[in-house]
Amino acid sequence: MSQDHEHGLPPKSSVSRWFLTTNHKDIGVLYLITALFFLVFGGVLALLFRLELISSGADLLGSMGYNQAVSTHGLLMVFWFISPFAFGFANYVVPLQIGADDLAFPRLNALSYWLYLFSGILMGVSFFQGTTFAGGWTMYAPLNTPAYIPGEGLGATSVVLALIMFTAAVTLGSVNFLTTMYRMRAEGLRMRDIPIFSLSINLTVWMMLFAFAALLAALMILASDHILGTTYFQYSIDGTTMATDADNPGASLLWAHLFWFFGHPEVYIVFFPALGVMAECFQTFTGRRLVGRKWFIISMVLVALQSFVVWMHHMFLTGINLPIKTIFMATTIGISLPFDLMVFSLIYTMAKGRVRFTTPFLFSLGALILFIIGGITGVFLGAIVLDYQFRGTYWVVAHFHYVMVAGATALFGGLYYWYPKITGKMYNETLGKIQFGVYFLGFNLLYFPMFIAWETPRRVFVYPDGLQIWHTMATVGGFILGASFLLMFYNLFVSLWRGEDVGPNPWEYATSAEWAVSSPPPLENFPGVPSYGTGKLEFLDEETVAERTESMPGAAAHGHAATDGGTVTDGGAVTARAATTATTMESTHEVSGEEHASHASFWPFLVSLGGFIAFLGLSGVRTGSVFYLTMAAVGGVATFGSLVGMTREPFHAPEMAIAERWPFERVEKMKLGMWTFLASDIVLFGAFIGSYAFVRVAYGWTAWHHDLIPAEHVTMPGLINTYLLLTSSFLVVLAMVAAERESKRGTVAALAGTFALGVGFLINKGLEWQHLFHISTETFPNGWNLSTNIASSTFYLTTGLHGAHVTIGLIICAYMTVRAWNGAYQGDDRAIEYFGLYWHFVDIVWLFLFPLFYIL
Amino acid sequence: MAASLITYTTVVFPLHGGDVRAPSAVFDQIFEVFLLLGTAVGVVVVAYTMYHALKYRDDGGGTDPYADKVERPEMGEMPTGGAGGRKVFYSFSISAVIVVSLIAWTYSQLLYIEQGPDPAQAEALEIDVEGYRFGWDFVYPNGHTTNTLRVPQDRVVRLQVTSTDVFHNFGIPALRVKTDAVPGQYTSAWFTANETGTYAAKCYELCGSGHSLMTTDVVVMPQDEYEEWYAETNGTAASGNEMDQRIATEATALGGAPA
Repeated sequence: MSQDHEHGLPPKSSVSRWFLTTNHKDIGVLYLITALFFLVFGGVLALLFRLELISSGADLLGSMGYNQAVSTHGLLMVFWFISPFAFGFANYVVPLQIGADDLAFPRLNALSYWLYLFSGILMGVSFFQGTTFAGGWTMYAPLNTPAYIPGEGLGATSVVLALIMFTAAVTLGSVNFLTTMYRMRAEGLRMRDIPIFSLSINLTVWMMLFAFAALLAALMILASDHILGTTYFQYSIDGTTMATDADNPGASLLWAHLFWFFGHPEVYIVFFPALGVMAECFQTFTGRRLVGRKWFIISMVLVALQSFVVWMHHMFLTGINLPIKTIFMATTIGISLPFDLMVFSLIYTMAKGRVRFTTPFLFSLGALILFIIGGITGVFLGAIVLDYQFRGTYWVVAHFHYVMVAGATALFGGLYYWYPKITGKMYNETLGKIQFGVYFLGFNLLYFPMFIAWETPRRVFVYPDGLQIWHTMATVGGFILGASFLLMFYNLFVSLWRGEDVGPNPWEYATSAEWAVSSPPPLENFPGVPSYGTGKLEFLDEETVAERTESMPGAAAHGHAATDGGTVTDGGAVTARAATTATTMESTHEVSGEEHASHASFWPFLVSLGGFIAFLGLSGVRTGSVFYLTMAAVGGVATFGSLVGMTREPFHAPEMAIAERWPFERVEKMKLGMWTFLASDIVLFGAFIGSYAFVRVAYGWTAWHHDLIPAEHVTMPGLINTYLLLTSSFLVVLAMVAAERESKRGTVAALAGTFALGVGFLINKGLEWQHLFHISTETFPNGWNLSTNIASSTFYLTTGLHGAHVTIGLIICAYMTVRAWNGAYQGDDRAIEYFGLYWHFVDIVWLFLFPLFYIL
Repeated sequence: MAASLITYTTVVFPLHGGDVRAPSAVFDQIFEVFLLLGTAVGVVVVAYTMYHALKYRDDGGGTDPYADKVERPEMGEMPTGGAGGRKVFYSFSISAVIVVSLIAWTYSQLLYIEQGPDPAQAEALEIDVEGYRFGWDFVYPNGHTTNTLRVPQDRVVRLQVTSTDVFHNFGIPALRVKTDAVPGQYTSAWFTANETGTYAAKCYELCGSGHSLMTTDVVVMPQDEYEEWYAETNGTAASGNEMDQRIATEATALGGAPA
């Protein structure tokens, strides 16, 4: 393919392509390769501690080495391997399956990938900052705070920051996938009609959008405890252990609640894509349609919803009362039942089929069997009396590996399944089957003995002699499992050259659209505009599309009319994360359909590189070292500069001419993106506010006000700020009206007014904080600052997060004021509307914060 | 009449923990039933899965034995479901009944574990447990504090567990008692030991470098011996912190930071 045809994107053989590309298929490949790298990283750590466990005692790694290995193994596998691996497929396959030519926001997609990669690199760097995080992947408080981390603890801080960066990537990805799936489906493809893998991804990203927002809140608070010195997760008795004498009895459980509110949906976030792959492979390799597909989908929806109301079953022993235990027992059992249905649906799909035992099918079937075992052993944990005793033992370890790694098993099947599509070459089937055999043997030899040796406590390196045989078996199994990957890597690598060329569809009975195009598919995916309008996939030529859009009123035509006006709109919709520098902007210039879509941008890489440098710097700023301070500053400037560059770069990602967009026919993609982002932001603030309420109730709601807050903390500054923000929101509306009326002067004036009021808000807040920092009273002789007590920590951090949102809003507002001055937005107020959505949201948040932190 | 007789009996001959159903017995019973049924269900379902996979495997003959019965999916068709939904529902219903009835059955046992034995029948020995990195303090009603938990045989023991630093979890696996040790709050758990002997208590929540070695002894003594021992304690801490010392040394010896 000539460079010209690829629209400025260098050929695949060129290294620069892989830094520039925003194409979903390229990014899918990048995800897959990177995730496999982290599989090896996490796997080697696992082999290290399995070697340690071959006999009792820590003679190989040492006790802290062992704790680091188990902790980072968990973090790497859960965060940096399994979900990104699934999202490699999601990136590659979902647009193809639903008939889109790319994701809705291609540059944001690239940004997700680069943030993911650099977050993983930061995780790797943490190993070289003394010790890395050693408090388990669940990161229980207060062991996760610097007071309990040996040495300087910079590695642990880096891990927390790496997780924040990873979460930013996930949130951007969720917004992107949701917008894509609701705005860019082929004509005739209702949500329920999209192929089952894409459906599983849809539900996964919904869960991600909310669950990761809660995790982000937890991580931001933890990072603040590490870097700014707040005291959320610290608890002290007699002031002996802790640097501060802040008494915070809710500290430990606060983390557990926040973490598991994220952590349990995460189980399904990990497993759903695997379920989707299994269903695809079962359909293709049995030559049968999924039995009870409708109920399969309903089951998944139920699980996705219920996943947010089961988290306390991880906390049965924390002293929660019987009614709550009963409720969570019921929801837990309730959430297991839809899985029974899904399992039987897969089993019956084989009936009257023509089952072909190819490698992908073997992995899918293997995954099903492993999942059945994982599911049954999970029911044991649903019985609370058993759960009490299984808590913290190898029963839990064995159970969740049978579930999670069963998911990974299905995903490896997916790798074989789509390998010919991605590479255009067939892998070696015999080697593939041999790998499955070795893999399956290794898996069971590794994890099954853990059930037998279940009395071993988790994360310890000493166990009774009687259990040694089982631990030795597990270690041997671990190495066999590891070795099976060498076969896989060899097979897939060598097949790139030696493999047989394949046509569009190497699998009999495959039905979804990715198999209707060449392998690998061309850059813009389809030979025409894909449509299921007649009930069967066809590709419409341009003339038909033009005719349709002219003659057809209604939903599809509406979307087209919006993009066909030839007007250039500057989105400037901003996805903002107040995680210090992790701010991202995407402005999409929509041009008429004739203009080709863009596929290359260097900015996502630069933004992420800047973010990486800034976060690495942040990990060490508390030491005051010039090296770290410089890094933080340089990284911050680089990130900001790259974001501005990205915003100013012309980049074309046109909306589809004809598409199925239910239920968002009338919500343009920028707006939908903004909506979904704000939805996750609501959860973020909700988690902050919930945390505040939780620690305050634990302390004593009224005693809190009396003991911990100085009389100098008065209502007036907050009241003034409330009026300032409300007025500024009104001005944004005026700016929209002015833009509609094409009054340039009015637009500029209203936007500038918004900006001025926002700045006034920040100045007022600055004065208030300055005053509180330096008060000197009998109770608070050294002022009331972030570290003074838990009340001051919650006050400064929560309103500070809001202040960061205001600051980001002001940066966008300033940018838009300048653009309005140059004549933008006249007659088209959409960009101002999207900014307004964000700004009004920030106002509404303040309306909650003001009473909570100033009045009650 | 009957009530007063019971009151009289319990006052004169106090019933001991030996007559109380121990948590370990409850656990063992439920675990056995679950293991049995779980294995049976697992074997049946996996066998059923393999039966389907093998029975309908493609013989490579090129002809479709079910050509006249089923319609095969075609490239580019709109995804739909296959027939056979009724069987899915039957199987699902069976599994749901098994799961729900099993859990419902264990719920009554949970209530027993939660509420503990009738306090009128068995007066519990109350002991406070404080976890710290990396050991346990046991505080008796008279204030006596030790690092080894000594309890009388056949007596209900109620533990009030907390932590003075990080999140721990206190468990005596052999006696099937376990609860979280959360800083800032107390959790409660009870047990009764029917056999004398020395058992191990362990920490079940990762708490730092010494976590693996955060074990201590639980000594179950005959009642009279226990009374004798307890009478000699006078509300002071037992001889030093031998246990802490031991753990710290071992942790260092095994390459761990003393932190």
